[in-house]
Amino acid sequence: MYCLETKDLTYRFSSDEIALDHINLQVNEGSIYGFLGPNGAGKTTTLRLILGLLKKQQGDISIFGKPFASNRVDILKKIGSLIESPSIYGHLTARENLLVLQKVQQCPKSRIGKVLELVGLSHTGTKKAGQFSLGMKQRLSIAMALLHDPTLLILDEPTNGLDPNGILEVRELLKRLNQEKSITIVISSHLLAEIEKLVTHIGIINKGKMLFQGTLEALKNKQQQSQAIIFDTNDASKTAQIIVENHLEANLLDGKTIMSAASKDRIAQINQQLVNNGVEVYEISVVKNDLEMIFMDLINN
Amino acid sequence: MTYSFLHSFQSEWLKRKRSLASWMVVLGSFFTPSIIILARVIYHDKLATLYATPEFWKMLWHSSWESMAIFLLPLGVILATSLITQLEYKNNTWKQLHTLPLAYPTVFFSKLLVIITMMLQFFILFNIGIYLSALIPYLVISGVPYPKNPIPYWDFLKEDALFFIDCLPILALQYLMSLQFKNFLAGVGIGFLLWIGSISALSWKYGYVVPYSYTMYFYLQGNSQAKIGHTTANIHLWALGYFVVFIIVGYLLYLNKKEKG
Repeated sequence: MYCLETKDLTYRFSSDEIALDHINLQVNEGSIYGFLGPNGAGKTTTLRLILGLLKKQQGDISIFGKPFASNRVDILKKIGSLIESPSIYGHLTARENLLVLQKVQQCPKSRIGKVLELVGLSHTGTKKAGQFSLGMKQRLSIAMALLHDPTLLILDEPTNGLDPNGILEVRELLKRLNQEKSITIVISSHLLAEIEKLVTHIGIINKGKMLFQGTLEALKNKQQQSQAIIFDTNDASKTAQIIVENHLEANLLDGKTIMSAASKDRIAQINQQLVNNGVEVYEISVVKNDLEMIFMDLINN
Repeated sequence: MTYSFLHSFQSEWLKRKRSLASWMVVLGSFFTPSIIILARVIYHDKLATLYATPEFWKMLWHSSWESMAIFLLPLGVILATSLITQLEYKNNTWKQLHTLPLAYPTVFFSKLLVIITMMLQFFILFNIGIYLSALIPYLVISGVPYPKNPIPYWDFLKEDALFFIDCLPILALQYLMSLQFKNFLAGVGIGFLLWIGSISALSWKYGYVVPYSYTMYFYLQGNSQAKIGHTTANIHLWALGYFVVFIIVGYLLYLNKKEKG
């Protein structure tokens, strides 16, 4: 059973604009699920649908094994969320903002002090939240999401507006919550580098379609599979011909020849053949195919 | 459900703290009494006679309600109702509110109850203000006697209740609009137009069908010089009817909103 699952979730803002196309999100219990995609890919729309902020059009959403629509209130009792920009009452203090939620969630009042301390806002006193910096507002929003000790945290770009130190702190906090309290976390971002050190699972979405979903390990395996060698020579087509004769794949890109991954011996052997055939070899390099490249590759194709 | 409604109401009540709407309730309720006090202090030479009049309390009540029934109460309800829902738009908090474990009816009706309670608060403060507008000139100006006749509490309370009912359609329609329009000016603008339309329609024999007109009708009904259309219709029942209809329509529209934050 998944902690959160969507089946064929499809959403249209208008008849000719499909925002989400059969999204099948599967979030394992206890995992940290990184939901990645460029701006406008459909991440926020998916998360808003999951939380009931948008009216579902097609597909199914189940959380904790129960259909969301018929168990909305019970499910929301166990979810903490932060969607896009901070949602706080500017005329109230940080403590009052949390009190507004505490009244509804009926968690112990002592949680207010604890979460404020957790996000480093316990010193704000009577300062109105409207006077906070964006980073402070974001941290208050995280405190609000954590107030009732949720089982599932849904965070849409929670590090927006935070400085590098703040990003690091949030990352450590989420890791700790996941490890110590087994909280399942869904975190969206448009930057892989930002969350690759945090997540256990990844879903990549672009133009409303799910391009990849699996463990971080599976994505890293994809990285090894897709490594390539670049030959920079004075004759790219002759280089490609020699590579193909060696039963390897070759493509031309920007006057260079891209060869599929091969052992060091094969690379040396092909280099030898190129020289023997009068091709001047300027550079042989391995494509730096890190996760970011795979991510870019996935969304560009 | 009952408990969650109570908790939701407490949460909503906390949100109005220090808000413009809550300040409006306090300032609006003491505005007319303050003007009356000021006028009486300036024209203090006529006060001794005035305070000795047997009809003192009724005259004070009538003059206090004059600007209130025609202008301040309808406009105040238009603004305060819109400002309460605007708190959610301005702070981008509808999404936060709709991801709390609250059923939609709880969200809708607890917010509505906060607005109604604020209106009740306004009526209480306004009544206190009216009493103070009688008491303060008596205390500060020498030679002014305390009114002989007792305050006709029951008459005033009954009128309070009827004025309260009469502004419920304004409250309900403004609430409906403020939940539909993100732009504060849209709901307030339409509200102002309806209020102006109500004033214009007062002399028309069917003017009572305009839902923003009932506080004016109620105030002017007893005034033989007022140019209002004569009607045998029970305007208070009309007001209650509109209130119920607007609330039902408002709730259905809210429930079926495609985007809830």
